[in-house]
Amino acid sequence: MIGYVAGRSPLHRAHPYTTLALAGTVLLTAFAMTDPATVWVLVLAGAALGAIGGVLRSSVRTALLLSLPIWALLFVLYGLLGGDPRVMVGPVSLSAPGIARALVLGGRLTAIVLSFLTALATTSPHRLVEAMTARGVPFGRTFLLASTLTILPRMRERAAQILEAQQCRGLRLGGSPLARLRALGPLALPLILGALAEVDEQVLALDVRGAAAGVRRTALDPPPDSAGQRTLRWGLLALVAAAYLWKFWRMRG
Amino acid sequence: MTPPVSLAGVTFTYPGAERAALSDLSLDLEAGEIVALAGAAGAGASTLLLVATGLAPRLVGGTLTGSRTIGARRCGIVFARPWTQLTGLCSTVRDEVAFGPASYGAPREAVLEAAARALEQLGIAHLAARDPSHLSGGELQRVVVAATLALEPDLLALDDPAAELDPDAADALYAMLPALARAGTTILIATPDLDRAASVATRALALERGRIVRDGAPAMVLT
Repeated sequence: MIGYVAGRSPLHRAHPYTTLALAGTVLLTAFAMTDPATVWVLVLAGAALGAIGGVLRSSVRTALLLSLPIWALLFVLYGLLGGDPRVMVGPVSLSAPGIARALVLGGRLTAIVLSFLTALATTSPHRLVEAMTARGVPFGRTFLLASTLTILPRMRERAAQILEAQQCRGLRLGGSPLARLRALGPLALPLILGALAEVDEQVLALDVRGAAAGVRRTALDPPPDSAGQRTLRWGLLALVAAAYLWKFWRMRG
Repeated sequence: MTPPVSLAGVTFTYPGAERAALSDLSLDLEAGEIVALAGAAGAGASTLLLVATGLAPRLVGGTLTGSRTIGARRCGIVFARPWTQLTGLCSTVRDEVAFGPASYGAPREAVLEAAARALEQLGIAHLAARDPSHLSGGELQRVVVAATLALEPDLLALDDPAAELDPDAADALYAMLPALARAGTTILIATPDLDRAASVATRALALERGRIVRDGAPAMVLT
């Protein structure tokens, strides 16, 4: 699951800036945290966001799928090839500082992926566009951000259509990993060429509909914001600032 | 009164192309005309739409020589494939149709009125609350046409607009064009569906290799 999932959770109903601020806070704070315990608090925060948004199971599953290869790489790079002192875990000799480092890096990655998957799943691109339009953000920037949020689901949908069409023409998807890899060719080429051709036409269509008119767009249904949410966003900003101050204070100490 | 589009000796070449898509083409359109463009693939009909609406070479690239005057205050264009013309950012048909007027900064009430009017015109008011991504190709194409009409264009370019429509919907689309033209909109249609085009057009142009080879009454040119 990567993309918006309709729902009625508090995160779905929150102003899109609030949801993105929560995910952004996890991202920025993760880089300020240098010990495994605090990084794993952030992983829990990411999971808590998923639970609040009602997308915990799917976001954890996707986060694991995305981060497991990186975890494996970190384990080899830092755990097996790291420096002394070393500890024995069964028959395997592991680097103690390397394992700690891998836990920090892997934890950061997992926390960030979890929180952003949750933000993607609970932020309606349309509400985000309306929120940005209401704030007077130029359409070019709004389009760039919203398109980024929707590109994966759109590509997945298109890929499914192409696969269906290719299977009708005899493409076989099963078999060995090599056979599956070969099947990527008939999928990737039309996917990429089709996307490029569509972008050309979409640019023309959006242009005639005033996307580049250069005037302030009218927001039709801007999502409601509240003093409480604005305070929360300022609080999150303060939290990020405090995390970096703490990091620099520890570095100096 | 300035004509919606006036071309004099226009030659247009796409980037990297060896042959010009339009060659020494001259054309004056009158307000309220419905002009059907006929020609084989590569004759230049679609390119003429892009040049007449000002999209080529501004967004398409390429080179244009000769004189072009676009008097139309606002141009609209509809392509054959509806899914490439959606914003992809609107969760309802109403918002998709309202996108254009909203982009020009019209007041909210005026935007919603324009959208409602266009939806009525296309007979798709019942789809207003639907998610565009869940519509059929034919429904989507009507949404795209409505979205273009909501802009109240002086010049409307239609590039094979009925390609995704069933026969009834195609008839309905063509049937509403004369009313638009009577209201002053100039309409240019490039389509292989010459029968339908002939039924509404007030003028027809036949193109070959980027040149107008016949210009006259639809009955003379399209048959």
